[in-house]
Amino acid sequence: MELSELSSWVVSKGLELGADEVASIASYSYSRQIRFANNEVSITNNWDSVSVSILLKKNRRILVSSTTDISRESIEKLLRGMVDAASVVREHESYAPLPEGPFSYATLRGVYDDRVAELGEEAVDYVEAAINSALEAGAERAAGTLTATRLQYSLSTSRGVSATHRKTGISLMVRALADGEAAGMGVSCGASLKDFRPEEAGGKAGELARMSLKVVQADAGKYTTVLGRPAAAVFFDIVAGMASAFYVDSGLSCFTDRLGEQVASETVYVYDDPLVEDGLGSTPFDDEGLPTKRNTIIESGVLRSYLHNSITAKRHGKKSTANAGWIAPHAWNIIVESGNYGDEELISEVKNGLFVNNMTYVRFQDYRAGDFSTIIRDGVFKIENGEIVGAVRRLRLSDNVLHMLKHVRALSRYSQQISHWWMEWGTPSVWTPQLLIEDVNYTLPAR
Amino acid sequence: MEELADFAVDFAQRLGVDYAEARFQVDYENLYVLRNGNPEAVSWTRRRGIGIRVMVDGAFGFASVNELEKSRVENCVKEAVSMARAASKTLKQPLKLSEEEAHEDSWKVEPKISFLDVSLEEKMGYLLEIDKRIADEQEIGVKIPQRLMELTEVITEKYFVNSDGAHISSWTPRVYFMAFLTAYEEGRTEQEFVERGEARGWEALKDWNLPELLVERSKLLGRIIREAQPPPRGKVDLVLGSQVVGLIVHESAGHPYEADRIFGREAAQAGESFLKADMLGQRIGSEVVNVADDPTLEHSYGFYLYDDEGVKARRRLLIKDGIINEFLHNRETAARMGIKSNASARANAFDREPIVRMANTFMLPGDHSFEELLEDIRLGVYIKTFGEWNIDDRRYNMRFVGRECYLIENGELKGLVRRPILEVTTPGLYASIDALDGNLSFEAATCGKGDPVQGIPVWHGGPNVRVRGIEVWR
Repeated sequence: MELSELSSWVVSKGLELGADEVASIASYSYSRQIRFANNEVSITNNWDSVSVSILLKKNRRILVSSTTDISRESIEKLLRGMVDAASVVREHESYAPLPEGPFSYATLRGVYDDRVAELGEEAVDYVEAAINSALEAGAERAAGTLTATRLQYSLSTSRGVSATHRKTGISLMVRALADGEAAGMGVSCGASLKDFRPEEAGGKAGELARMSLKVVQADAGKYTTVLGRPAAAVFFDIVAGMASAFYVDSGLSCFTDRLGEQVASETVYVYDDPLVEDGLGSTPFDDEGLPTKRNTIIESGVLRSYLHNSITAKRHGKKSTANAGWIAPHAWNIIVESGNYGDEELISEVKNGLFVNNMTYVRFQDYRAGDFSTIIRDGVFKIENGEIVGAVRRLRLSDNVLHMLKHVRALSRYSQQISHWWMEWGTPSVWTPQLLIEDVNYTLPAR
Repeated sequence: MEELADFAVDFAQRLGVDYAEARFQVDYENLYVLRNGNPEAVSWTRRRGIGIRVMVDGAFGFASVNELEKSRVENCVKEAVSMARAASKTLKQPLKLSEEEAHEDSWKVEPKISFLDVSLEEKMGYLLEIDKRIADEQEIGVKIPQRLMELTEVITEKYFVNSDGAHISSWTPRVYFMAFLTAYEEGRTEQEFVERGEARGWEALKDWNLPELLVERSKLLGRIIREAQPPPRGKVDLVLGSQVVGLIVHESAGHPYEADRIFGREAAQAGESFLKADMLGQRIGSEVVNVADDPTLEHSYGFYLYDDEGVKARRRLLIKDGIINEFLHNRETAARMGIKSNASARANAFDREPIVRMANTFMLPGDHSFEELLEDIRLGVYIKTFGEWNIDDRRYNMRFVGRECYLIENGELKGLVRRPILEVTTPGLYASIDALDGNLSFEAATCGKGDPVQGIPVWHGGPNVRVRGIEVWR
């Protein structure tokens, strides 16, 4: 059955069984992944997947389900169960109907690449190219993941929405090691092969690993910090996640009760753009069928908007920002507006500071306040009088999201789309320059 | 579906593979979310399909499919084989698997009260009852304006078959509860994260006594805001509570003892290990330190009897009397060390490769009483629960910030202290443990590892433990 037929059948069946509103997404994806470590492939993974997700509303109750058992009998049974359950669950306090369609949607460019869709055994060649590049740049070992996906999905709703979209995505992360602790990381990704540069990612990882061999001392304390793009992507993945109204309302955001406040320095401009060419998260419609659009989250450092679906929008007295997520709204592609500095220039601005390429294992002491610490790695260097003098080990970055946002002083010109494993809040991609942030706090373990 | 899985293995063998396995798995997951007293969602997820793993020319290939027709399964096997073949050219040496007994078995964890026999009304009603109590500022003594609660029930059915002749079926129920609470008073917040989980039916909820537990934890948050004083500075003695000990052994014993991490397979993701394969037999802690990982603990959240490579499960003693004793292995890592697998291979769904995982990791209890641990501490801190936590990617340098903590003075617990910070090394901490009490308890968690990330149910636990001379910061 065609995806659009399937999603539309689910909607009409749900209505027939007694639902007030139904939305259904039927999707098909094929993904290939190559995991590598110690300069060799560890495993190849191939995923062939059809699934159906259902949102059902009845008497102001809300239920969702998702299944990979897509036989008609099984889906009908699921729908019956959802309708029955609706008579029991309590009414949702911020109930809002689905948006009334139909809508017309933007045509996205550069989000489907046949070469990515058909990528087969030649994926191994990309991996080999990345590994060799890392080794040539001075690493001993390279590890990482290459993933290529093609995805097609169809959304139907009982309020007149019928929309289909297809996209591809390719993503490479390389971590190179020059010894057990001297490591570097490089990333290359996009919806298409347009900006996909596996050798560059491998080479960057290898270069940072080689540079990390020369170790210098650094004490705990506050440093002016240049964040490399992988680290900046982790940071703004958190900012984007905390901008979701669901997390704002759950105690998991430092942006709660701060709309309209200066939460960052005036140099900071962050927005969500679902329509950008080559964006891994690009999509013309959200899960409720609304046409997606650019949404400003932070402008000149002021928190302008949370990300909403219809329900959270109602609760906050706003309009949906077309970021559904039926339950939790989320970002599509986060863009951090770049600045005026060259990468080297940014480093030359630092008298006494650090360059941090990656942030991993971010954990919060207090989500509401924004206090966290993170393991920094994959290129952490001391900067003295505008020059990198050596690698630093053992330091842990321990600071606060709002404090860091407020101390952003400069941004580089060159921005890159980044997606990697340590972006734990789930933003599909973050486009970010490097950032110079003052007064960042670091700690050391006791000897 | 069993025939389809059997067919997948036969078909793979006809294509000339070195090894093949197929796992048909269904996970029925029901999730109930209550946010600030509002039923945010009732969510049902059904993940169902077949995952096939082959070894061809010494390389691994995995493929999964959920449209369960023969032609799709055939295609799936062909993809796994052809991609593995292409990957084999990158290998300096072919990968190997340890020789293991092929079991034919079927096992089930029987719930006393099935989830299906408990109405949705009762389940939501239970969450609402808890919420009502903790939202009552009069009873709790502080505002808890943000209360996120999740109740999850999962039933996992598996059928595993491999080219060695193993056939294993299993059926496991699991129930899990999570609460994230934010207390707020005069601009100050304190947050608490509570988790419980077991491989049991609905009867587990009764034993957990969640309303009283959440009321107690909520009241405590208010007390921390109002009463907690700065912790002592400098080197002090510590007593670490079971929750903290459990997390410590999970992160600094369990993870670095995963043999695939030791061999570098997770280098690009969570990282490697400060341990090397030839460090077995070396000292890592004091003689009183024993750490085990055991999938066979009855009703444990990480319970299983055979792993996802068909190997029979048993207890693994990672650290024995302070000595590095055993790693966690699958068949690939075991072959590399010339030993048998100790059944640590787990996959969290049909469409994920099995990788080395923990099950239930804990420090073995000792023979002191809790009071005896406190007795000769002149100045110290009892860190009962933790807030922030992380550890470096070789599992060597850990940091945690205490949540519920008390001053210890001259052998007695005194008042609450606020957010003591510890940053210590793994050997430094383990060498400083000098006594343990007999109060073993566990907490549930979902451990993340692999790419794509696989969240797997685990327990971690321990007794209360005394640690001498650790630097504490504010």
